[in-house]
Amino acid sequence: MRKILRRLTQTAAVLFGVSVVTFLTMHLAPGHPLQANPELRLDPTAVERWLKLRHLDEPLPAQYVAWLSRVLRGDFGESLLYNRPVLELIGERLPSTLLLTLTSFVIALLLAVAAGTYAARHRGSTFDRAVDLLSLGGISLPGFWLGIILILLFSYRYPVFPAVGMRTPGDGSLPDILQHMFLPLCVMVFGGFAHYVRHVRGAVLAVLGQDYVRAARSRGLTDRQILFLHVLPNAALPIVTIAALSLPMLFTGAMVAEQVFGWPGLGRFIVTSLLARDYPVIMTVNMYTGTLVAAANLLADLLYLLIDPRLRAEI
Amino acid sequence: MRRLLFFLIACMLLVSGCQKQHEENLKLRSQPELHFHVAALTGPLTLNPVLVRDSASAEVAALLHTTLLVTDPQTLTPLPRLITSWEYDREKLTYLFTLHPEAVWSDGTPITAEDVAFTMRVLSHPDYTGLLYLPLRYVLGAEEYKAGHTSELADGDIAGIRVIDEKTLSVTLKEPYAPFLSLLTFAPLPASHLSAVKVRDLEGHEFSLERPVTSGPYLLAEWNRDEYVHVRANPAYFLGKPALDNLYYRFIPNAETQLIELLAGKLDLVPTAVKVEDVAALRANPELKVYTNPRLVYDYIAINSKKADSPVGDKRVRSALAMLLDRKEVVDNILLGFADPLYGPLLPLHFAYDPALEKDNVDLAEARRLLVEAGCPQAELRLIFNAGNLVRENVALLFKEQAAKVGLDIRVSLLEWEAFLAAINEGDFDLAILGRGVEADPDLSYHWHSDGPGNTYGYSNEQVDALLEEAAALESAEERTRLYREAQRLIVEDVPAIFLYVRQAVHAATAELSGFIPHPENLFYNVHEWGLAGEGDK
Repeated sequence: MRKILRRLTQTAAVLFGVSVVTFLTMHLAPGHPLQANPELRLDPTAVERWLKLRHLDEPLPAQYVAWLSRVLRGDFGESLLYNRPVLELIGERLPSTLLLTLTSFVIALLLAVAAGTYAARHRGSTFDRAVDLLSLGGISLPGFWLGIILILLFSYRYPVFPAVGMRTPGDGSLPDILQHMFLPLCVMVFGGFAHYVRHVRGAVLAVLGQDYVRAARSRGLTDRQILFLHVLPNAALPIVTIAALSLPMLFTGAMVAEQVFGWPGLGRFIVTSLLARDYPVIMTVNMYTGTLVAAANLLADLLYLLIDPRLRAEI
Repeated sequence: MRRLLFFLIACMLLVSGCQKQHEENLKLRSQPELHFHVAALTGPLTLNPVLVRDSASAEVAALLHTTLLVTDPQTLTPLPRLITSWEYDREKLTYLFTLHPEAVWSDGTPITAEDVAFTMRVLSHPDYTGLLYLPLRYVLGAEEYKAGHTSELADGDIAGIRVIDEKTLSVTLKEPYAPFLSLLTFAPLPASHLSAVKVRDLEGHEFSLERPVTSGPYLLAEWNRDEYVHVRANPAYFLGKPALDNLYYRFIPNAETQLIELLAGKLDLVPTAVKVEDVAALRANPELKVYTNPRLVYDYIAINSKKADSPVGDKRVRSALAMLLDRKEVVDNILLGFADPLYGPLLPLHFAYDPALEKDNVDLAEARRLLVEAGCPQAELRLIFNAGNLVRENVALLFKEQAAKVGLDIRVSLLEWEAFLAAINEGDFDLAILGRGVEADPDLSYHWHSDGPGNTYGYSNEQVDALLEEAAALESAEERTRLYREAQRLIVEDVPAIFLYVRQAVHAATAELSGFIPHPENLFYNVHEWGLAGEGDK
């Protein structure tokens, strides 16, 4: 219990640090959201007024303190670009992001566990080498390139899947959304699978070489029994770590896939806000990501306790 | 018995009524609604027509709202729209505007002179942070209103604006100002809905973000954030209900995907920024049609003559720089002909444009001589432009190459957009490739008068100031043309910038689209007249 409390205070300190660093670097970057754009016929006094109404003309420490006191009261402010509460903007993009990221995460992980285990058990086989090659490809091919190739192939050359968006305007039924999901999902599953399968294969291989596996085999257990009773539970620890640590990514969206396929998710929103110097959004997103990372770490630790009885004894 | 008969007759009437209803439904169904999909790179940020700062918001605002006046797509002279007619009293400097008698808001109430007066007060309010105040500066009392109005609401009065009756408004100027009408291309706000809203709260108000009360050819049906805006034809639009029943404005963040969607038949119009390299292939496609039109935006190389110890402070150096590029070559090779070379600040669309200026004076020997004479035969200059603009990148490289021939070392640096803007505003450059939007009227004061709000690099020439002031006060287009050409000649002589080219807008649309008139300022200028030739099968 005391341990958990200590973890929580640590987390709060880290988040405070994140907020200070984000605030400083954000304001170090040149520009502000309503710079006098030389291509527009802007009235310079309007820009001054705009900055004043939003308190952006005040000294940075004062702005930071004002921000902090509002956040502690639960107010994350309004976007300078959209003029709406930041939490609302994030909230309305979260479902479409989760639809994409969660689905791809689950598929990629299941595929990786199945293929990784099989490859490890048949080490050196054609299948093993194929998985190795595939995962190497998935790690090295950039997602945006793969996305464009898929669009060229399946939306242009053989128009089977829509190239962009989450639904046909005016439709939005489940089959319609699934159809739109397919290509971005492919890119993401491929990338995720490539990443996870290496860990799974490594973990399973490590366990397969252990004495207790050999002992189990000499006791006459079938391969299947060995796999499910001895190998997988022991190989689960590193796999859970990897999975838990990728959780924050699920909630911040897939920036590349969302940009290429015009998916209306958080990733695209974060990128545009960053480029537009939308300060309240940038701050909130960084705090939100920071909290998620901390929560994922905590979750990983708790899962260890659940999976590995040895760790439980230590508490 | 009588009651029974009555009942029977009532039943028959009811049945026949239903039958008729049914027939009408059938008729409706045999004429399916038309759907039209337009591409955009980003979604709008606001639905409020007076708070627009980006092109997506401007285009959506043009669907939902009607402007007071429009400009002619070819000549750019003011044409009636919501204001159907006007009279000008020269002695009193007063315009009398009449609004369209049938123009109504989407809530059914008429669009009145009070709405227009209210909108002008919003634009002149000290808390207003949009782009539209500039034309109001010439209205009697607007400057005083901006400086001295203390209420947070757009209430009170501007001396020069008077509501005569429901559909008549009089506007008095503080001095003769010829371009005034051409600047009345903004849309009014509904006073009855917004007069109790603080001007500073307008940006975050539901009118601007969710539930607009509108005056335009289309009504907002659905705004699916980050995906599309769906609008439906406004049956009560005073210029007639648009033929395209449903229009979807779809946000697709990259241009290649837009083209693929167009080729797949899922988009009907990719406006403005079709890549010139793609035009030949698109023209060969019988299902598509390519439209082009000149724009009111030009690219130029800004010269930071204010920067201390930069050689570009010397006019001879600037003149030498202006002799390096062959603009025709730039237009033909880099822009594949989809642009007009530009030799001065007046654009080919302006009535005062001077074709006599169209001459490239590429002269490397003379440039070299000028540089030596100015005492800097081997200067090093920093040229900046924004990352991602391939055309400007190519121009920069060409310029660097040419400059090297006369002994100048051009350090090209490519900056991310916001960093680029910051560098421009802080003056951290010698040369910068930039775009600049201009108004429909040839009035050059905004950028070239010593006191012009857009005179960023401190250009100042008393003669030019006098000419511009005189021209803005004149009515005769011929007189004005003469003065503007004279001012332009002086400006070009001073070499405050190197004018490059005016790009054309290139649109690709389905061949079925009919009635589309590309307009240099407003994509949806005549959207209520658009149709689909092969009606029904879309």
